[in-house]
Amino acid sequence: MAAPEVTVRLKGLAKSYWRGSLEIPVLTGIDLEIPKGGYYALMGPSGSGKTTLLNLIAGIDRPTGGELEVCGHALNALDDDELAGWRSRNVGFIFQNYNLIPVLDAFENVELPLLLSDMSRGERRDRVERALRLVNLTDRMRNYPRQLSGGQEQRVAIARAIVHDPELLVADEPTGALDARNAEEALVLLEHLNQELGKTIVLVTHDPKAAQHARFQIHLEKGVLDRTIEVHDRPGLPRIPGGGA
Amino acid sequence: MTVFLLPLAPYLLWLVYAALFHPVPLAYNWRSIWVRKAGTLSTVGAIAIVVMIFVVVLSMAQGVSRAYVKSGRDDQVIVLRQNARVEMMSSVTLAQARLISTHPLVARDAYGPLFTEDIIVSKQLPLADGTGSLTVTVRGTTLAGARMRSQVSLTAGRWFRPGLSEAVVPQSMQRRYRGVELGGTITMGGRTWAVVGVFDGSGSVYDSEIWTEVADLRQAYKRYGMDSSVAVRLRSPEDVPAFVRDMEKDVRLKLEAKPEPTYFAELGDAGKPMQVLGQIITAILTVGAVFAAMNTMYAAVAGRTSEIGTLRAIGFRRREILASFQWEAILLTTLGGILGAALSLLFNGIKSGGVNMKTWSDVGYAFAVTPGLMAEGVVFSILMGIAGGFLPAWRASRIPVTEAMRG
Amino acid sequence: MKFLSLVLRSLFRSKRRTVLTVLSLAVSVFLIALLQSLLGTMDSLTVSGGSGTRLVVQDKASFTNVIPQSYANFLRSQPEIENFTAFQWFGGEYQDPRNFFANFAVEPETYLDVYREECNLPSIPPGQVRDFKRDGNACIVGQELADRFGWKLGDVVPLRSSIFNITLRLNVRIIFKGKRKSDEMYLAFNIRQLQEAVPWMKGRVGAFTVRARNAADIPRLCDRIDRNFANSAQETLSITENAFNLNMMKMLGDYSTMVHSITGAVLMAILIVTANTMAMAIRERTTQISTMRALGFRSSQILSLLMAEGLLLSLMGSGLGIVMAILAADVAAKVGGSILPWMADFIITGETLLLCVLITLALGLLSTFAPAYRASRRPITDGLRAL
Repeated sequence: MAAPEVTVRLKGLAKSYWRGSLEIPVLTGIDLEIPKGGYYALMGPSGSGKTTLLNLIAGIDRPTGGELEVCGHALNALDDDELAGWRSRNVGFIFQNYNLIPVLDAFENVELPLLLSDMSRGERRDRVERALRLVNLTDRMRNYPRQLSGGQEQRVAIARAIVHDPELLVADEPTGALDARNAEEALVLLEHLNQELGKTIVLVTHDPKAAQHARFQIHLEKGVLDRTIEVHDRPGLPRIPGGGA
Repeated sequence: MTVFLLPLAPYLLWLVYAALFHPVPLAYNWRSIWVRKAGTLSTVGAIAIVVMIFVVVLSMAQGVSRAYVKSGRDDQVIVLRQNARVEMMSSVTLAQARLISTHPLVARDAYGPLFTEDIIVSKQLPLADGTGSLTVTVRGTTLAGARMRSQVSLTAGRWFRPGLSEAVVPQSMQRRYRGVELGGTITMGGRTWAVVGVFDGSGSVYDSEIWTEVADLRQAYKRYGMDSSVAVRLRSPEDVPAFVRDMEKDVRLKLEAKPEPTYFAELGDAGKPMQVLGQIITAILTVGAVFAAMNTMYAAVAGRTSEIGTLRAIGFRRREILASFQWEAILLTTLGGILGAALSLLFNGIKSGGVNMKTWSDVGYAFAVTPGLMAEGVVFSILMGIAGGFLPAWRASRIPVTEAMRG
Repeated sequence: MKFLSLVLRSLFRSKRRTVLTVLSLAVSVFLIALLQSLLGTMDSLTVSGGSGTRLVVQDKASFTNVIPQSYANFLRSQPEIENFTAFQWFGGEYQDPRNFFANFAVEPETYLDVYREECNLPSIPPGQVRDFKRDGNACIVGQELADRFGWKLGDVVPLRSSIFNITLRLNVRIIFKGKRKSDEMYLAFNIRQLQEAVPWMKGRVGAFTVRARNAADIPRLCDRIDRNFANSAQETLSITENAFNLNMMKMLGDYSTMVHSITGAVLMAILIVTANTMAMAIRERTTQISTMRALGFRSSQILSLLMAEGLLLSLMGSGLGIVMAILAADVAAKVGGSILPWMADFIITGETLLLCVLITLALGLLSTFAPAYRASRRPITDGLRAL
């Protein structure tokens, strides 16, 4: 089957929460298409629904209305287990606080998504090593998260997000916990993944600098799409810090 | 249990002092306990179970010895063959019995001298639940003997009459054995005995004996001229030593006289193994409970690191933090102790039985959960609080002020 | 298997908590194993090498009463009976009333044969057997008992009995080695010593132990013996030796109810303790669990990982407890055996081990299921928010 040209297609997407009998709409009538290989930043003030939209796209939350098709699957049609399987093949996650498993070392953290496949041990090792080389952390692969700096932790998290070669990367405030230098490194890394590996990236951020790396900025306001802006003056693509791929 | 508190007395005094004069308010600990409901409830539950086992097993042992203690009177003396130790192994000839009955110190009531010669035999009785049979004591006695045992009172029917092969049976045996109800019959010594009365021995060992007329039993078992024991009531408890001396001085008799309380106390040693077993069980369980309490307290300390840092920043000293958390542990385990002691009350009065290894016969007893035992259980839980809380409290007291600043 | 190290390492994330819980479980299981084995050992002792082919003929009213020795005549005429011996409980004490051990008066001519399995007759030198039968003051003692008091062949053992109010001086003529230590914990001597010293024992015995040619004959034999003496001055009660032993054990009291109640209560306590530990361990990992689910772990996979963790925790606890119990069993047998003879055979029984395995499984599953299930079903976004 040929890969679809569109990675994310949302039609009339809506999400509300209930406080007792009170319905609180978070997102209403979202129509959006993100092409394969796109790099989109979701922006907006707190409570605008940007993280909720990201969660829906990533298949870790369910909409209350509308349709969403991501990586060629209509997510509404999948049950929880199918959705979990879908995520393990199609989505890579990057979190603000890295969310590494503290009892696993860097190598094992990166290996975690591969454990869900039926890959052999050797194959998994190759893949993990390749991913760690990409983020330039091969020398730290036997270190535990608490032995790594914040920047290194986020690079391990990025390796974990791509190790199973997903089509879509979602990132929720990936630079939120990093200092300026490490944030810049992480953003450069994401851009490489987008440009050289063709990953579709959806990023939630309120940091304008981070959003500047995306090709499009989608602004949300009170649960509706406010405007989409194409970014023209993107910073040039420097080399991945320290060499890499 | 209380003795264990003694070596800890200085520490406890200091804790009280700390609570009174430089307090992190106890209310702070009390409320903190209830913030962590799951942890608190699990620790309280575990401690409650251990304390309950402790109190209940000891109440069993207490029940056994109580059955014997209740059986004696301090103005009565039992006379046995020398070295016989228990009535069943003793023998007293009728001639000896006559001599004893004429002793001037023996008391009298309206019906005559308070003196009885008893025969003890044993009888295998089928258990009511059908799981087998046990040996019970059958006492051939006299109406004087029945009057002397003031714990014993008739609750139904009448006393046995001489010459008719009649028996009276304790109420407590009714549920435990088959075929001993009023109007029933018991076969022993080649005769059939009619159950004509039911008595209540108010928890004494007599509650585990079938009584018949001594002359009838003597005949049935062909024990002419040879009884098991003699019991007498004296005019006052002060007469007991003199009477005992007289009995032992009289070389014709070769008898041994024992005040009833002494005699029954010796038999009551049968509760000892159970007491020892109970103590071993409790000791092992305590270790487990202390670990569990420690776990909860460590979690409490870890969860309140910044809180403790703040307390230190405000100006509380290390030792006050230590006292505060030690108190919290004690509060926690004492709650469990009180709950456990309360739960053990459910077992109070439950009837059980066991064979006394000295008399080879079944003796019924009731679990005796006394206020004293319950208090011991609570003291025990306080000890667990001290043991389980000290290390976590120590750790809490070492938390640096700078932790106040961390989220 | 590829998740084993994750489970193991998650379990030891908080080392102190896990170690404290494991120790708490271990001492509790240790106690349960010891108590249950105590019951099991008591039960196993009601059966010994030859007990299946033997029956006991005793007074119907009470086993403490004596019966006429002349009843032997009837027994001798029964074709199903291979051999029999009379015995009487002596209740003797050696030096001190606290030195309690079992001792009986028996008929030396037949005793060794009737109890040939228990005293391991083929292993006793013929010279000793001859001495035992010839010497009127002879006694036979088990190795374990002889070791306890330092008796050697030819020693004189004074035994005083408060039941009979006499002291007998007995010569040790046989020291035998049995199959079980508890079989070696008694002394037996010639019943004629007792009958000569105690007037009312003349012509009387406590009971007869009868060895049937065939175990299948026992019910019929019991019935026939009791019917024969039914209308005599002293009726008899004949029961299998196993039933007799069971009655003796029953006399120790209702320990089984006590042991089972304590087991139940202790299980309750360790269930609470383990459940609390697992709840704590799971609660503090909410984010981690949500992350794993976002990465594609299914709810059922998360549930099984957590359950495996709970099982492993209870396995370590009860495993340690059982090992402690097995190590302690030897000590308990040594120390206990000097107070209660049957304790010499104390071992952790197979049933106990099986029970402990069941406890482990139940404990692991029950303690973990509720918090694990809740954690595995929690909306992923909730957990990720709980940063």
